[in-house]
Amino acid sequence: MPPRLQPPPASGTGRPRAAVLPLALLLSLALQGVAAAPAGAGEPEDSLRRRDPELPRGLLEQAARAALHFVNFRAGSPSSLRVLADVLEGRARVNPKKECQVDLVFTTDCYNPEEGEERLGKCSARVFFRNQKPRPAINVTCTRLIEKNKRQQEDYLLYKHMKQLKTPLDVVSIPDSHGHIDPSLRPIWDLAFLGGSYVMWEKTTQFLHYYMAQLSSVNQWKTNDDAIDFDYTVLLHEFSTQEIIPCRIHLVWYPGKPLKVKYHCQELQTPEEASGTEEGSAVAPTELNNF
Amino acid sequence: MKWILFLGALIGLSCGREKFFGDQVFRINVRNGDEISKLSQLVNSDNFKLDVWKAPSTFSRLVDVLVPSVSLQPVKSFLKSQGLEYSVTIGDLQIYHEMDSIAGDFPDLASRVKIGHSFENRSMYVLKFGTAEGGRRPAVWLNAGIHSREWISVATAIWTARKIASDYGKDPTITSILEKMDIFLLPVANPDGYVYTQSQNRLWRKTRSIYPRSRCVGTDPNRNWNASFAGEGASDNPCSEIYHGPHANSEVEVKSVVDFIQEHGNFKCFIDLHSYSQLLMYPYGYTVKKAPDADELDKVARRAAKALASLSGTTYQVGPTCTTVYPASGSSVDWAYDNGIKYAFTFELRDTGHYGFLLPANQIIPTAEETWLGLKTIMEHVRDNLY
Repeated sequence: MPPRLQPPPASGTGRPRAAVLPLALLLSLALQGVAAAPAGAGEPEDSLRRRDPELPRGLLEQAARAALHFVNFRAGSPSSLRVLADVLEGRARVNPKKECQVDLVFTTDCYNPEEGEERLGKCSARVFFRNQKPRPAINVTCTRLIEKNKRQQEDYLLYKHMKQLKTPLDVVSIPDSHGHIDPSLRPIWDLAFLGGSYVMWEKTTQFLHYYMAQLSSVNQWKTNDDAIDFDYTVLLHEFSTQEIIPCRIHLVWYPGKPLKVKYHCQELQTPEEASGTEEGSAVAPTELNNF
Repeated sequence: MKWILFLGALIGLSCGREKFFGDQVFRINVRNGDEISKLSQLVNSDNFKLDVWKAPSTFSRLVDVLVPSVSLQPVKSFLKSQGLEYSVTIGDLQIYHEMDSIAGDFPDLASRVKIGHSFENRSMYVLKFGTAEGGRRPAVWLNAGIHSREWISVATAIWTARKIASDYGKDPTITSILEKMDIFLLPVANPDGYVYTQSQNRLWRKTRSIYPRSRCVGTDPNRNWNASFAGEGASDNPCSEIYHGPHANSEVEVKSVVDFIQEHGNFKCFIDLHSYSQLLMYPYGYTVKKAPDADELDKVARRAAKALASLSGTTYQVGPTCTTVYPASGSSVDWAYDNGIKYAFTFELRDTGHYGFLLPANQIIPTAEETWLGLKTIMEHVRDNLY
């Protein structure tokens, strides 16, 4: 389900279509003055897609993607990954420091939908982009797509499957050049995507967003201890620059436990010898991890 | 003598299988009778569905065999275990073979025309579809594969070529379109890049041109056209994926198309196929300023997106490039528009990020079929609004 690029018809100050926004969140949005209001009293706070030229295109979708990467990482469940379905509504504010706060509601779908299964979830989120600095701050709640017990069961099945894979893994690229993923290797992709979600969350800004193009190599796959210890490289595709960014990721996963991730991404080559490619404080945080 | 027997055995095979783009062409070197019989064994086995393109003769011991994607692994293992020497030939040969085949199957309608060559000296071929000799009929240009990693665009173009040829005389829409206009189709606008994605780096985007004093290879061919060249939405860093090149039309692949279209002088429509994102866009990419024909182009694009969606529900967003996807200067479609080709559109085909550039082969035909409905809608409008 492709995300809509057009914002939904602005309905004043984002009154929910169906009873969607929890009252508490609605109140807190109304009360909280996070950023200085734009000049001009009484400026309505509906989706500002083309009204404010400072706001980047597709900002709502950008915020939804960042929120979803965060949701996926936080859930730590390779069997219940979510993708963006539609942005239902949203509004954005930019403060004088060019930091951008987006409040939005969006629907989600299963990453791996089973045949004919329609499982639409709903999330409401506040995303705070820190003017091209990475690691947008995210506050998000979602309805449960999959019942907790079922999710744990599925994760445990995946875990058992992974433990049975013959090491060292004979993996070149997933998917291959023709988009094919061998069903027996699908769990590896899902786990890689889970780790990738952490990276993509941290790297998303109001201008940059990522997709995971390919798992290009498996450096290590250890399952002898209880947890899955997975060291691999993915190729991220950044959309606005069209760059392919290799990221080395090292994660440790056990079903039901929070995911532990470390990563390092390669920066863009410059024509000069000196690296000079630091994107503000982007370099230091790429080393950041939650081990 | 054995060669003749082998020849007979191989030619006996016929494949009515649908062309599938995971396939590769293996060039096998048969050095003796023993190897011949081993290869016959492989080819005659029904399991692998192999298709012989070029059989050995007295003069050549090389056999070209088309191996379907599903059989790649087992065939490779077999060849290895039997000690048979082979190499995988490059992808563009397959495309040119198919173009040749279409021209051969429909000689009154289609012809393969060489319009130039690439940086690494590969030929650039278009298929011309036309029903009248001589003169310069109003024409449509279908461009594909300018960004080499966008394989679905090449596959869609080739499928479309055969569709145009087979449906002419049967489908009233394409028949009436071809009665009034010629269609030129360039399935691989960036052959060097395409070969590179097959053999070295699946995610390569640019050309493979090399300039002195740059330690990075390639220019983004869709930032190299003379339409606000080096403006916003391109990079002057040769290592960037959106490097615009040292000057407009520096890329011979781009210049070849520009020269052909300008020499022809009567193009009315230019459509550029890309992936991914599911978008149908019109000028401009280089500015937020509204194009003079934006309203009409928007209407046509919406109709086309609706037609496309009617097949499987695939939804496309519609709008001007700059605000729908991102600012992009030096693009083919903007150049076409600013050079009098009013009906200028960009398609970003499937999907929206799940597989991205690595779209599974089983989505090729569904993508091509739905895109065809969109293309026909646009061409119908051009036919009815010639200027």
